[in-house]
Amino acid sequence: MAVVKVNGKPIEAPAGSLLSDILPENSIETPCGGRGSCGKCRVIAYGMLSKPSLEELACLTAQELSEGLRLACCTRIEGDCAVTLKAAGESWIKMDNELPELELHPAFTRYGAAVDVGTTTLAACLYGADGERLAQAGGPNPQRSWGADVISRVEAALKGEGPALARSVREGIGELLCELSHKAGIGPELIDQVVITGNTVMLYLLTGTGPDSLARAPFMADRLFGEELAAAELSLPCIHGTVYLPRCISAFVGGDITTALVYSGICNGAGTKLLADVGTNGEMALWHKGRLTCCSTAAGPAFEGAGLSMGLPGKEGAVDHAWVKDGSIVAHVLGEREPIGICGSGVVDALACLLELGILDNSGFLEEDPFMIAPPVCLTQQDIRMVQLAKSAVSAGIRTLIHRAGITCREIDELAVAGGFGSYLDVGNAGKLGLLPEELVQKVRVIGNAALSGASMLLLNRDLRKYSESLAAQAETVDLSTDKFFMEAYTEGMLF
Amino acid sequence: MSILKEISENLQKGKAKIVKQLVQQAIDEGIPVHQILDEGLLSGMGVVGEKFKRNEVFVPEVLVAARAMNMGTQLLKPLLAEAGVKATGKVCIGTVKGDLHDIGKNLVKMMMEGKGLEVIDLGTDVAPETFVETAKNEGCQIICCSALLTTTMGVMEEVVQKAVEAGIRDNVKIMVGGAPVTEAFAQKIGADRYTSDAASAADCAVELCSA
Repeated sequence: MAVVKVNGKPIEAPAGSLLSDILPENSIETPCGGRGSCGKCRVIAYGMLSKPSLEELACLTAQELSEGLRLACCTRIEGDCAVTLKAAGESWIKMDNELPELELHPAFTRYGAAVDVGTTTLAACLYGADGERLAQAGGPNPQRSWGADVISRVEAALKGEGPALARSVREGIGELLCELSHKAGIGPELIDQVVITGNTVMLYLLTGTGPDSLARAPFMADRLFGEELAAAELSLPCIHGTVYLPRCISAFVGGDITTALVYSGICNGAGTKLLADVGTNGEMALWHKGRLTCCSTAAGPAFEGAGLSMGLPGKEGAVDHAWVKDGSIVAHVLGEREPIGICGSGVVDALACLLELGILDNSGFLEEDPFMIAPPVCLTQQDIRMVQLAKSAVSAGIRTLIHRAGITCREIDELAVAGGFGSYLDVGNAGKLGLLPEELVQKVRVIGNAALSGASMLLLNRDLRKYSESLAAQAETVDLSTDKFFMEAYTEGMLF
Repeated sequence: MSILKEISENLQKGKAKIVKQLVQQAIDEGIPVHQILDEGLLSGMGVVGEKFKRNEVFVPEVLVAARAMNMGTQLLKPLLAEAGVKATGKVCIGTVKGDLHDIGKNLVKMMMEGKGLEVIDLGTDVAPETFVETAKNEGCQIICCSALLTTTMGVMEEVVQKAVEAGIRDNVKIMVGGAPVTEAFAQKIGADRYTSDAASAADCAVELCSA
């Protein structure tokens, strides 16, 4: 039996079998029936595998083959190997941004990597000593099998699953580092520094720290990181390297917000600026008069495509945009193909269309339930209710920070919107739904995966670490669950 | 339209001021207070509860309707006491220790009040002992616990145990709810009832109190 690691999770499989036969159901698509003709079952695979078949040589370019791309229906397992289920061109989420001009003072000598451990996805990039980005990679967080949200993972860790959770994410990161070095044509042991950012729970689970303090009120984190470890401690393949974990702000505002703040630059200067990271948890931060306040709200996974009846992450087949033309809804589908679901940006657009057409009233009542957006993709009344909770949590969080600073939206100079979902968001529609306060729509700057970009900055200029740590240390976290203003804004904000 | 029906319909729309005026007018016209309560306020809140169950209305509508109902019941309360009208039952409610999320709990409370129950709100982060002592001292028929986190819902089991230890378990029913709670969990910890939404919780409480 050979061991095949699929996105970090080991599966046993008999040697000689095809990758397409052993991969989990629905993880790849084989519209041609596995004949090697359509090229849809692309995966990234390396290890003991058969040589590329004639079909693969016809379907894949030399460049793609050198990046480890294979067709699952043609590749035979010959021994232990690893598979990443994210074919090129499938994930449409922008992974890393152009970094701002910064003085190069790397924390590594040969190669360095930055990793963002998201609750849902992992993303990473590799840099050379001259500051050039050599490769990027991403994939699902293998901890997902323990539950989609941070609390269910904390719960699992408290029940003794901590070591397994740690192993799973370490392997996931290890695979990404291998993929990065493979793409760059280097060995992973040449990476001598990795900056790993993530929310507080993710960093606890990664380091095998007992998350008791994150499990119940008063939610006082007993470890905030801002520390360096040996990579070997985390069983990463860069065995001689070190790992830097950015400082977290509090139990629910993590190191990913610290690095996102660094990248966003909202704390540079005297302006009044906001950062909102919209994911499964919505985190916001306000910089005003040299003070930083932040908060976290449980937005739920609606904007990441999960939890909705036909929700999908931003990948091929997902409705990502919609608009009204001649009184009916027109939808755009990623990959220009038959729609199979709807992703966060598509949901926002679709709801704006439904409101415009009067099919959805301002209380959130849907005239026609379910309503077809792009057959067979539809939205149900239950979906709308989930979105109402999520969008209200985000906007109420922003309004609460503004209110507590004793200012109004008029005094905000900028709202930086981070997160994969943010990159594709139609900001005007987000304002119409009340996901973002409408008064701030003109001031939005979309900054993509700012957490990862910020981690890259800490990698390329080690002097920024001290700055990021002091930023995190001085930040004040507002507890929304006991905030009266938030509760009012939250219930009012559920309306459209 | 009869004035009671008007009260009911304005309550459903959340028109608190009008509801208050109409209730005062009904009192002045000499309509029996229990009838104003049942056929006006509670009937209106019942409609909102049913719509909420069917997903036709959402949290904000329930909140404004409940606010309107409160305006009416404030006028009725002293008169009801004078007339010797008793509540259908008495409930104490709170979110369990370690949990601060109370929107769900507040909805359940409003729905229960909308069914004519007297509800003692213990707030958030409530210790198991507090539930049990309140039930004992106030003579509640039901303890109602809410938790939103999988990490805090275990405290509900302690509430059941404390009730046993205090010797009141035979007289008090324990209801549990909240996003992560399930029927199987309720049975496992020895609670009496689990309900999945606020309106069903209120129906269940009425049923338990009249049994």
